[in-house]
Amino acid sequence: MSADFAKPDVLVIDDEPQIRRLLRLILEETGYAVREAESGQSGLDEALRQNPDVVILDLGLPDRPGLEVLKHLREWNAVPILILSVFGQEGSKIAALDAGADDYLTKPFAGGELLARLRALLRRIKPATAASTFRFGTIEVDLGRRQVTKDGHPVKLTSMEYAMLILFIAHRGKVLTHRQLLRELWGPKAEKQTHYLRNYMLRLRRKLEDDLDSPRYFQTDSGIGYRFVSDVSENS
Amino acid sequence: MLDFCSSTRRSEAGLVRLLRRKGETRRFAGPSSASTITPPTDALLPPASEPQTVAGEAAYWKTPEPSLLREYSEVLGVIACVTVVGWFLPLSYHAIGQIYLLAVIALSLRVSRWPVLVAAVASAVTWNYVFMPPRLSFAVLDFDDSLILGTYFVVALIGGQLTTRVRAQARLERRREQLATALLRLTRALAAARTLDEAARAALRQAEEVFEARTALLLLDEKDALVPHEASSFRLSDLENAAAKVARTKGEQTGRFTSVHSTAQAVCVPMLRAGGVLGVLALRLPVETLQLTSAGQDLINGFAAQIALLIEREKLRAASEREKLLAESDRLHRTLLDSVSHELKTPLSVLRSATEKLDTDDFRLRRNLTVEIRTATERLNHLVANLLSQSRLESGGLSAQLDWCDVRDVISSARRAVGDALAGHVVKVQIPAELPLFMADAPLMEQVLGNLLLNAAVHTPRGTSICVRAGLEDAHDRVFIAVEDTGPGIASELRASLFQKFRRGNAARAGGLGLGLSIVRGFMLAQGGDVVAGTSPDGGACFTLYLPHVVHDLIPSDER
Repeated sequence: MSADFAKPDVLVIDDEPQIRRLLRLILEETGYAVREAESGQSGLDEALRQNPDVVILDLGLPDRPGLEVLKHLREWNAVPILILSVFGQEGSKIAALDAGADDYLTKPFAGGELLARLRALLRRIKPATAASTFRFGTIEVDLGRRQVTKDGHPVKLTSMEYAMLILFIAHRGKVLTHRQLLRELWGPKAEKQTHYLRNYMLRLRRKLEDDLDSPRYFQTDSGIGYRFVSDVSENS
Repeated sequence: MLDFCSSTRRSEAGLVRLLRRKGETRRFAGPSSASTITPPTDALLPPASEPQTVAGEAAYWKTPEPSLLREYSEVLGVIACVTVVGWFLPLSYHAIGQIYLLAVIALSLRVSRWPVLVAAVASAVTWNYVFMPPRLSFAVLDFDDSLILGTYFVVALIGGQLTTRVRAQARLERRREQLATALLRLTRALAAARTLDEAARAALRQAEEVFEARTALLLLDEKDALVPHEASSFRLSDLENAAAKVARTKGEQTGRFTSVHSTAQAVCVPMLRAGGVLGVLALRLPVETLQLTSAGQDLINGFAAQIALLIEREKLRAASEREKLLAESDRLHRTLLDSVSHELKTPLSVLRSATEKLDTDDFRLRRNLTVEIRTATERLNHLVANLLSQSRLESGGLSAQLDWCDVRDVISSARRAVGDALAGHVVKVQIPAELPLFMADAPLMEQVLGNLLLNAAVHTPRGTSICVRAGLEDAHDRVFIAVEDTGPGIASELRASLFQKFRRGNAARAGGLGLGLSIVRGFMLAQGGDVVAGTSPDGGACFTLYLPHVVHDLIPSDER
């Protein structure tokens, strides 16, 4: 990313100057263009002034709740949003993800992890390739013929398992909450039936993961949901 | 009827001394014993309508007086006998006069003053009328006969006086003994009581038995207001409450038998100790009780003093208990401050000095410093997380969000969370394929397992293995997850206090606050589970987590 126009534009909304400074350091060094906002309102104004490529939003803002800022943004903008939160805010993380945030990081976070998450979010918004196959690890998914192979051997998936895999591929790199997954796969009435999800996730992992005890592709976010990581080298 | 109040007033002072502490006598004696108890009248307690003898020990304080009626009839009977016998005896009227004298002397030893005087008068009259010539008519007295009659009266007066005094003495002795017995019983009952409530109940029941009264105990609450104790057997009327308030503020006896609120049904006695009034004892004596005798007053005062002593003792005990608690929490705070400041300052000083040195061109040094900085931040991060968890546990702000969990999920996310700290160890996971889901709070479980894994990693040499096993118990009612290591195991003297906060093994390496296991236990209990420490088959430490096994409803199948 040499030319300025090609630099992805990151909007950082956080009231802590030190966090903003640090993020600017890391991001600019990596090749992002960084804009800062120290409150929810100025963040919204800044986003309105010029549409960013990705937003990093802190949930604990001084003027208005981060969740409110997120909902406002989502009303007119589909920009990828990465949430920053602190320990013990599981409830607010889920609320933010359900309200349309794409991913979250818990403070204190590691710089490398932040960059990996941003890369995953930006990759998703790139125009979808016409390719009819999707690969991760040694697994190949033929989207047109609805066939899955692992190490060249066909893997037999049930229709629900396949639907789940497609959903994850469509939202790769993003956290899907239990509620989102259940609603999408079993309908709105099944939103609380987390045991369906646990059960199918176990089945999917059994068929696709190499080591069931430390899954690489289908990662668990305790109490929140699942994240599909297709490019393992970037995220592990 | 005779009252013993006036005759025993001197000795009453002695009794009062017996019961009351020096300096409180004036207040205890109060207006009732000083002014309300009046000189001898016949209308004193017990009233004439009541049985004259006391049936049981319980009512002894109601002055068991010998019957005066009986004494008068005895006197008249004896004089009549002497007259009849003398009529048939061939003796001179002088000799018969001597017999009358003997009879009066004998009577003076048995009956009290007034009956003896009656005996003297009766003997004089009958002797003159019946025996002195001319018989059956009154004769004019010569000097000799007058002398004999005079002797009757002198003997009667002296004898009667002596007898009365001896009796009063005996009665006093008996009263002292009975008073002492009643108080001894009370003290014994109070000593057997373990709490203030028990003691108050025992004291009130004793008072009810002894006084045949209904009792109420009013104690001061935190706001210094009088509150009836639950052991009370009646609820105070407004008037009685007013009397109790006066008794509390003035420290004087009020209510019935006193000049303050004398129409109240109950008598209110303040319970005094050196520190002031501790409460009020209210007694509803039987309606037919017309007057409070000094014996009754003494006993009431004795009860009040005993209960006051008890309340004071209880207050002192509570105060010392509080003091102990304060000292303990003070110790905990010091420990917390000491270890927190140490634990925070160590990584901070690493960060500070490492970042200062980062300004070097030496690539190798910079890389090493970066590793140090990363370790220090990990340590700080873990410390802050544990402190937050502990405060969440203690503030009661922790409510577990139970949801279906897969044991593999929980274990793998815990391993990911612990990260590099486990790099030096081999982690083995043993889970049966058909292990069912269980109900738990996944983030809490992640932290619990993370703490146990970290604990195992810290306390065992590098290169050893840590085994995580999960399964369903034989009885199928609990799911267990065990973390076993091959280290030295848990020292037996540490077992009891293992899950308490700020407890660290003596052999534990530097680092850690001793919060990890306390959080493990707190989180497990919050999820309706438990944690048990034991020994692994290899002799290492083994921590087993238990959670209730719940069966979930059917999952819709789409198997083809």
